[in-house]
Amino acid sequence: MPEAVQSELQCPSCGGQCAFDPSQGALRCTSCGNARKIEHLDGDDAAQELDYCPKGPGTDVPVLAKARTHHCQTCGGAVVFAGQALSERCAYCDGPVVLSEGDEGYRTMALIPFQLREGFAWEQAQRWIKGRWAAPNDLAAEVEKGRMAGIYVPFFTFDSREALQYWGTYTVRRNKKTITRRVSGSMQIDFDDLLVPASPHITPLIRDGVLHDFRPDTLRPYHPGYLAGFAAERHHLSVAAGLAANADDKDLLIRNRIEGHAGRKLASIRYQTDTSGLRYRRILLPVWIVHYTYDGKPMKVVVCGLRGQTYGERPFSGMKLLAMSAALSAAALGLGIAWGALGLL
Amino acid sequence: MQVDLIAPALAALAALAFGSLIGYGPTRKLIAVKEAHHELKRGSAGFLRQVGGWSVIALWLMAVWFAGTIIGDWGATGDLAGALDRAWLRLRILLEIAAALADSD
Repeated sequence: MPEAVQSELQCPSCGGQCAFDPSQGALRCTSCGNARKIEHLDGDDAAQELDYCPKGPGTDVPVLAKARTHHCQTCGGAVVFAGQALSERCAYCDGPVVLSEGDEGYRTMALIPFQLREGFAWEQAQRWIKGRWAAPNDLAAEVEKGRMAGIYVPFFTFDSREALQYWGTYTVRRNKKTITRRVSGSMQIDFDDLLVPASPHITPLIRDGVLHDFRPDTLRPYHPGYLAGFAAERHHLSVAAGLAANADDKDLLIRNRIEGHAGRKLASIRYQTDTSGLRYRRILLPVWIVHYTYDGKPMKVVVCGLRGQTYGERPFSGMKLLAMSAALSAAALGLGIAWGALGLL
Repeated sequence: MQVDLIAPALAALAALAFGSLIGYGPTRKLIAVKEAHHELKRGSAGFLRQVGGWSVIALWLMAVWFAGTIIGDWGATGDLAGALDRAWLRLRILLEIAAALADSD
């Protein structure tokens, strides 16, 4: 870590280490409790997006990290600690981490700082676990043994304009025959701030569970002070790799919009798109992650560090699923028996 | 009369056991759909993936209900062959509904 940054994270009153305090939105000294706001340079624009031209000159160049980077020996994740390293364990998989000298990554452009404290996030995770249907009885106790870590996770935001032409088929029943009909059309879709995880640790499903209300206008320019007291993963994916990682999600969203445009479910869809106006940001978003293991399988519950929405991985109880299935089967069967006994159609 | 009801009752128990077993997957899907509706961002890729395939829940419940209608008819009339004959029209309507549900999934 550069000495300038290191000294910035020291308390001006007592020289102690400062950590970012989500409740105050400021750096707070861990020794004397002195709090101070994080100052930004004039001209820092967190909302700024960069143009991306896949065939253009290479502007998306990785830079050598000057921060101390810890590499996880279990999952391969690379985590940066601003200030003192908080843990010798990986924030994602709880595996051991080793300090490395330098690391190539991409410059983070903006972030949203943590707004929730660990205690509240922990309660949210417990509440989420207790609200699971058909969960094993000992699940809450197993999660209780888990470890919570606050981490800034890398994301891309992508804007693009898609000029689409599509062709599809659907079936209709006419006089006891199934007839296949064709439909085609053209439309335009504007994707605005499509949030794409730049880390293999946050799946698109978890993203959709915890980041409901991501608002780009709340982004702040990147400053290492926001990271003090938390772990952060560096941006390692190139824009091209980020776009490729998002291809399946984008395809699904486009197909869904095409069905909306056609006004019906389509049995098969083909489309061609001309993408323009591709713009991106590299940002960090805060999450609390609870690691736990169930039946030897590592799982995680993720709590959004902004509003507290929670989603994660959970096991099922086979017996409870069977009991629910039996109850629903009994209801359907009982209704059927009554229907048949009454001689209805 | 009691003796006549033993066979339909046993058939009902067998249908319940079979329905419960094949309902294991659809019940898990039901929970996934419920969680998606309450917890995932509407219209997001994750939401669409979790909700997709919901028709398997309806197909399972319709199949169990259909078996129940035959057993109910059989128990009330004591005529299994007649109950099966009368079930044909119901089956055709159910298949139409099932096809429509699968199309809209």
